[in-house]
Amino acid sequence: MIRQLRELIRKEILILLRDRQTILLLFLMPVALIFFMTLALKGVYTDKIYERQIQLVIENESKLPKANLLEQKIESHKLISRVDRPKGIDNERIFAENKAQALVRIPRGFDEGEKPVEINFDPVLDFGYKIAIRSLMTSLTVEVVMGIDNLEVVVANLIVEKTKPNREIPSPLQQTVPAYAIFAMFFIAIPMSIGFLKEKNDGTLQRLFTYTVSTNLLTLGKIIPYYLINVFQFVLMLLVGFYLMPRVIGFSFHLGDHALYLIPVTLVVAAATTGFGVLVAALARTPEQSSTLAATGAILMGVLGGIMVPYFVMPVLMKKLAMISPMYWAHQAYLDIFLRDAALVAILPKLIVLTLFAGICFYIAGRRVQWI
Amino acid sequence: MNALDISSVTFSYSGAPVCALQNFSLTVAEGRMQALLGPNGAGKSTLMRIVTGQMKRYSGDVFIFGRKMPDHRALVSIGYAPQAISLYTTLTARENLRFFGTMANLSDRQIIERSEAVLGQTGLADHAEEQVATYSGGMQRRLNLAVALLHSPKLLLLDEPTVGVDPQSRHHIYETLTGLNKAGMTILLSTHMMEEAQRLCSSVTLADKGEMIYDGPMSEIDNLEKFFLAKTGRGLRDD
Repeated sequence: MIRQLRELIRKEILILLRDRQTILLLFLMPVALIFFMTLALKGVYTDKIYERQIQLVIENESKLPKANLLEQKIESHKLISRVDRPKGIDNERIFAENKAQALVRIPRGFDEGEKPVEINFDPVLDFGYKIAIRSLMTSLTVEVVMGIDNLEVVVANLIVEKTKPNREIPSPLQQTVPAYAIFAMFFIAIPMSIGFLKEKNDGTLQRLFTYTVSTNLLTLGKIIPYYLINVFQFVLMLLVGFYLMPRVIGFSFHLGDHALYLIPVTLVVAAATTGFGVLVAALARTPEQSSTLAATGAILMGVLGGIMVPYFVMPVLMKKLAMISPMYWAHQAYLDIFLRDAALVAILPKLIVLTLFAGICFYIAGRRVQWI
Repeated sequence: MNALDISSVTFSYSGAPVCALQNFSLTVAEGRMQALLGPNGAGKSTLMRIVTGQMKRYSGDVFIFGRKMPDHRALVSIGYAPQAISLYTTLTARENLRFFGTMANLSDRQIIERSEAVLGQTGLADHAEEQVATYSGGMQRRLNLAVALLHSPKLLLLDEPTVGVDPQSRHHIYETLTGLNKAGMTILLSTHMMEEAQRLCSSVTLADKGEMIYDGPMSEIDNLEKFFLAKTGRGLRDD
């Protein structure tokens, strides 16, 4: 029986390895998604204000000492990248043609306190940048006008920031690596169900029943290889996230303090993804039906479950809806490890939900599957 | 001893208005090559599936070498080549044989030896390492037969083994079957091709609409087509 099981597994893996489209779908697709989505989501995650400089036009019409000092302070600030106004371009065109994102004019009469500094923003500039620049201009102007050397040092004695590091918002890689690993793991339903239905339709499965092979053995022979491939998919994506991506796109990937918890979490997630595959195989009647069902199901679960749209940017209603997707529970379980350094007890409820999902899938599939 | 004894088997597919097999009886004596002849829908493939243990919800009895089905030891003595090419087309012929040999509980050594033998018998030895998807229809049919022969069955059940096969491959299959029968293998050949049945078989069972209408020696029938027409009022090739 063990020999038969081993051969059933070997056969499935051989068939899978010779199917280039499936290899692309299961292994290359998530790597590409991790790469591109990490870059695409960079702006959503990173501390934008300190990651990017604002292109600013500074026009000093006063040329008096205070105005010159203010000009110098603005120009030397790390947030600012000074640009010159191209000749013949007015304020509207300078923004429309993306030559600058803000414009500061220090008018004549500034030193005398007769006229204020004027700030002009690109209308489409992110609100956060506008606040940051306005705040910067306020503090620098106060420094110049009041004769304070460094307002930040003075304020530091009055205001102390005690914000804890955010443990709910993952870095781009922390979001995308588990997200698209899970997403690809659910796509196992496509080759799994197509393989089963193809065998059923071409009579190979019926032929197997003419040997002394039990349905239990055939079931195991179908489930185990795809389960192993799911685990391998996650390990590969983890290696890509940990070793490759930091070199390619410059983000680091932190495993967290309890990396060993990845083992139980991955084993349970793989059970859920394999369960989904078995369910699709049992519900569909043709390979075409099964691939549509599996792809649509996986994409919907991905959209709902915080895979494609990060959970923390979702509105409250969507956050509640996310909980109906097993991908949400799987993703959160991984984020518990990578981000929150959670204890196993804290991850356990998510594993229970995923185990229940797997159990329900296997149960329904067991009731619905028609071997012949 | 009879190789196969089918007694009053009745079977209907769920939801179907009529029975696929109605009180069907058939006997195949050991060492004989017998034809199971009938038009499409006669119930030939259903009978094959029942005999090979794929379908269990039937009434009546099936005995293989005296063992009442379902029986694991009886199953081992059957070799079955289904009508559809039931092979893994992305695997090579040798990989298919290794797989089905393991399913038949052959040892690694037996698989190697028997694979060589059946590949030789079916003329596929030179193509053993090629993927089945690259085979012609005739070569796939021959491999389908090779898989059925792999575990040296005593009773070979063939369901339309030459459908869609070129004359050269058909001739090769006929030669192989004749040789196997001469060597003592019992063969039940399900077909709707009269020439095939008359050329190869010493006895025939005629089936129509799920019922057995004749079971006897081929020598008693001069013209199968006319005989069938006289019994049923329609030709063998009618659907």
